[in-house]
Parts: sequence; C-alpha cells; structure tokens
Amino acid sequence: MSDVRRAPAVPAWRKVTQHRLFWPVVALVVLIVACGIKNPTFLSVEIRDGHLFGQLIDIARFSATPLLLALGMALVIATGGIDLSVGAVMAISLAVSLTYLDGNPNADSAGTVVVAVLLGIVVALVAGAFNGFLVSVLGVQPFIATMILMVAGRGVAMLITQGQITTVTSAPFKYLGSGFVLGIPTPVVIAAVMFVAVAILVRRTALGMLLESIGINREASRLAGVQSRNITWFVYVLAGMLAGIAGIVYGAPTMAADANNIGLMKEMDAIMCVVLGGTALAGGKFYLGGTVVGALILSTIERAVVIFHIPSQITPLFKAVVIIAVCIAQSPRLREYLKPRRPQRPRSIVPAALAVKEAV
Amino acid sequence: MSATLTAPQTPRSDDGRRRPTAGTARRTLARFLRPELLPIAGTLLTLVIMLVLGESRYGGERGFVSVKLFSNLLQDNAYLLVLAIGMTFVIITGGIDLSVGAVVALVGLVIATLLPAGVPLPLVLVISVLIGSTFGLLIGVLVQYFAIQPFIASLAAMFLARGLANVVSVQSLAITDEGFSSMASWSLKFGEGRDISKINLSMIIAVAVLALAFYLLHYTRFGRTVYGLGVGDDGNAVELMGLRAGRTRLWVYVISGTCAGIAGILFAFYTKSGYNLTGIGMELDAIAAVVIGGTILTGGAGYVLGTGVGVVVYGLIQVLIAREGLDSWWTKVFIGVVLLAFVILQRAIAARKKK
Repeated sequence: MSDVRRAPAVPAWRKVTQHRLFWPVVALVVLIVACGIKNPTFLSVEIRDGHLFGQLIDIARFSATPLLLALGMALVIATGGIDLSVGAVMAISLAVSLTYLDGNPNADSAGTVVVAVLLGIVVALVAGAFNGFLVSVLGVQPFIATMILMVAGRGVAMLITQGQITTVTSAPFKYLGSGFVLGIPTPVVIAAVMFVAVAILVRRTALGMLLESIGINREASRLAGVQSRNITWFVYVLAGMLAGIAGIVYGAPTMAADANNIGLMKEMDAIMCVVLGGTALAGGKFYLGGTVVGALILSTIERAVVIFHIPSQITPLFKAVVIIAVCIAQSPRLREYLKPRRPQRPRSIVPAALAVKEAV
Repeated sequence: MSATLTAPQTPRSDDGRRRPTAGTARRTLARFLRPELLPIAGTLLTLVIMLVLGESRYGGERGFVSVKLFSNLLQDNAYLLVLAIGMTFVIITGGIDLSVGAVVALVGLVIATLLPAGVPLPLVLVISVLIGSTFGLLIGVLVQYFAIQPFIASLAAMFLARGLANVVSVQSLAITDEGFSSMASWSLKFGEGRDISKINLSMIIAVAVLALAFYLLHYTRFGRTVYGLGVGDDGNAVELMGLRAGRTRLWVYVISGTCAGIAGILFAFYTKSGYNLTGIGMELDAIAAVVIGGTILTGGAGYVLGTGVGVVVYGLIQVLIAREGLDSWWTKVFIGVVLLAFVILQRAIAARKKK
C-alpha cells in the first residue's frame, strides 16, 4: 500500500515502463514494426467496398477466437483454476450449430441461423456448467474436471456429427466469420462486444474483486462471506459460453465441423494470451486489457512467421517456450531468490508488477 | 482410525449380548470398509462387472474370459501400463503429469526420424528414454525449485513436447527399420490354433517396469517418501522424519518422464510409426487407469498393482466397445464417464473421512 502513496514521486517515464502492460505492448509494437520493415505493405490498411482490408485487419480478425477463449480462461485462472476443455467445447458448439443447419431446409434464412447459433451457445453453456459443477460442487481439481471434457468432449462432438465432417452452406452463418459490420470484420466486432460486456461485468461490479479473492485464498474468501461456490461455478459457465461463441466464429468461414481438429490445442493459445497479459497462472489478480494485448501478440506472431518465411510448424514450439519463460518469471521462488541481492533498495523501485504480486 | 469411526455406529444385537461371531463379522466388515480400501474395492468390483458382462454377452462356446483375452489386453495396452505406472508415482505425491501423451508422440517421431538417418538402434532407444527423462526433469525442476503447480508445469512441458514434435514432422512417418521391426514382432507363442496367446517384448518390458515400481514403492525408503509427500503438508512431515522430500519430488517426475519415454518406444513398437498428433488425450487414459486402480487423486494413498488392474479395466472397456460394434470415439466418452465416477467416489470417501 505504501507504494501507492509514494507513487507521485516516481518519474513519468518510469510510470510508463512500470506499467504492467509496458513489456507486452513493446513486444507487440516490435513485432509489428519488424513485419512492417520486412514487408512494407504490412502496415497499410485500405478501404475496399466500404470494408477495411489489410494485414493488420487480418491480425485483428484472427485475434478474435483466442481473445474470446482467453477472456473466459482469464477469469477461470483468476479463481485459481484452469479450463482445458475450451477447444473441445468449441468443437461441440460448432458441431451442434452446423448439424442443426445441415438438417434444416431453410439454412439460408437469418432466423434459422440465429436458432442454430443459440443452440450451439446453449450446449456450450451446459458444458461449462458441467465443468463448474465438478469443480465447485464436487470439489474435483479443475485440471482433472476440465480434462475429462477435453477428451470426452471430442467424442461427444464426434457423436453429434456422426464421425463425418459436416459441411453446410449458409450465407448468414458465414457472415459471422467473414462478414463486416460498418467496415469492421464481424469476428472483431463480436470479440469487442464480448470483451466490453465481460469487462463491465467484472470491473464495474464487485465480481472481479471477488474472483481474485477466491483465487488468492478460497477458504479465507469463503469465511469473509464470498459465495465462492456459486461464483466459481458461474465463471466456468461463462468460460464455456465464450468458448462456444469462439467455436462458431472460428468455424463460420469454412462452415465445416471437423470434430477432430476444430479447437485442437486452442487451450494453449488461450493460456498463452492470459499469461502474456500479466495474469499469473497461479490465480489471483487478472488483467483483461492485458489479455487483449496477449491475443494480438499471438496472432501477430502467427502472421510474422509467414512474413519471415519461418516454417509454421515452429509456432507451437515458440508458444510453449514463451509460456514456460513467463511461468518461470512469475514463479515466487525466483523472486525470492532474486530479492536478497539488493536488500538495501527502497521498495518504491521494485517494479510495479513485482509490487502487485507481493500485494497478492 | 476408520475402525473407530464405524464400530460405534453399528447397532448391538437385539438381546444386548455381543455374540462373538457377529463381532468378528463386524470387524471384518469394518476392516473391509476402511476408507482407503474402498477405491480398490470399487476397482475390483468394476473389473468383475466388466468380465461378467463380457462373458454373458460374448461368452459363447469359446468363452470370453481366457488367457488369450488377457494376453491381448496386455499386448494392446503395454504402453499405457508403463505410462500409468509412472503417473502413479506422481499422483501419490499429490502431483500430476499432463505431458506424457505429448512425450509419447515426440519419442515416436524421434525414432522414426533417427533410424532412417543411420543412427544405431540401441542408441536411438537410449535417446528415446532420455528424452522422456529430460522432460520429467524439466517438470520436476519447475515444480520443486520454482514452486510452480504441477499441472501448470506439466502442461507447459506438454506444449513444449507437442511443439518439438511439430518441428520434427507434421507428417505421419512409418518406421521401416529392420532391427526395430524384428524387436516389435518378436514373441513367444503359447497354445494352438485360435487360442494362441503371445508374450512379446512390450509385455515383458511393461511387466518388468511394474515389478520394479512395486519394489520401489513398497520396499524402499524412496517409496515411503513418495507416500509421505502426498499427505498434503508440502513434505514437512517427511522432512522431519529425515527423508529427502525435495529430491524425491524431483525424482517422481523424472520417473514419470522416463516411463513416458519407454512408453513412447512401446507405442512405436505397437504402431510402427510416429505422428505428432498421436497421444492426444493419452494422459487422461493414464490418469484414468491410475484412478480406476484405486490411487487417490489428491495423493497419499495408492497401489501400483491397482494401476495394473486399472489398465486391464481400461482395455476391457475398449474391447467391449469394439465387440458392441460402437465407434471408437465412444471409448473416450466411456473413459471420461468411468473416470468421473471414480473421482466422485473418491470425493465422497474424502468427505466421509472429514466428518
């Protein structure tokens, strides 16, 4: 707390560098500038037929799916849990939506598509509720509870599509993935709307703080009167719903429900966005704004790999190395180990991120 | 402790006198109902139910339960047995290793890449096992020295192994090396005609690993420490007893990783190929086998032989689903359901214990 009172004494430039989003944003800018130097057309955004086009717009578009997943994941991680089932839930919701459209003669009417999307989201909600029930009511460890759905969920998606790759043609459904709203790609709009909604939900109410209190000390928060069971359950439901939306947005451009491959390893993307945004995997404080930066970094990396002609198979390895590095950097032991080296330093010089972690 | 819990609740016999036979029966019952034995009772019950189910549905004149059945089960699931044995060590300490499936995939690809490159077979096998050990060591260091939660550390290792596997190849590579194929197909045959049953190298290795694990867990100081770590006090009690908590925690992950490396070889024997998408969900299969085998998911109690039974139950589920003519993805759903049932059973027992 003393850090907060002393804050005005910190020079302005240090305030910027101490901001917890400083390094993620620097990474993002460096990536974009590097791509721009390598390929000058990278930075150009043009308007064609009233729609925005350009590589940067593509990056925003591809960030939508990981961001939707990561929003839910960030909240789940804040409570000290994890949701490994997001990829499978994507597959399930897409399978449900497309199977409904497939069997419907009016697949091209907007009303049918709305029903199909709602069906997919509802099933995803149910999947999230199942996870939440296991974690909050039965007290199963989150990684086991959600892993059951991660594996069995693909089986369920297979059952829905009957082992086929269900493909349909439906213009309104495709619009969700590759259309534009006021010139902005639909997925970006959907992700932005969900981001604002979630941000208002957790930051304009006490919910976010309660989530963090559960993640920091579940028992203490319960004793303090926080309804940790209901809140934990709610968070998994929300993560399930967001994963369902992500599945539909992700699958809409191709409109093919491939139960085996949709959302495969997407939990890794979601976790990476969350940790890049400064949220500790151990739970507690979470940062939704950071998660957005994380999602942008993720899709910029994927694009940079193409621009720099790096074999794209390396991307998952790179993501894994980043996650491990961030985990180690966040680990309490490492910080304990580094601390005694400069015992005389006043606390105000300890980087802000560190101070926040200590407050936790 | 459990005996004191159950005994007073049992009502006395009507006439108020304690009949010796009733007392013995009660004590036997109380003994049987010891909370730590309930999961293993569940394991055996599941096994018997599945065998009876199989016998009644597919028994016919040749019988369902036979030496051949068990020979086939072990042959098909040798790799899983080895994985599950390593996982048992980790779970008993209260940890988890989510990286094993990815390590199996990586090892398969490394074998498929190194053998055509002219690397001698023994060296390839050693490298394969060491890859597993290295991943185990990485997880162990993250858990022990950086105090990262096991599921996060092993999840990161899983991503790393999948990432490396992607770099090796995104194609499915066939393993055509002669020496490797002859090792994979070598077997001792018993019986005649349709009742022929085999013992192959994978089975021998798996059983050897099981025997070694049994010895390690139940007859060594290391094994005691493994159980002691699982009581949930961060190894304090174990430390106070003069056992090496930290070193042991590191070693269980190395053991699990090494087992994953061996399992990778066995899986390559089985499929004769390497592919970066194999083993997705295999960690869940291994965890399921361990949990079905009566090891408590939160640590502290478990039996490596139970894990063996768990693997047999897993194999039986697969066999029954295949015999029912259901598609193979039903296996995933069923395994999920069975794992869930056992986890819930364990939670119920834990809740009863607390009271």
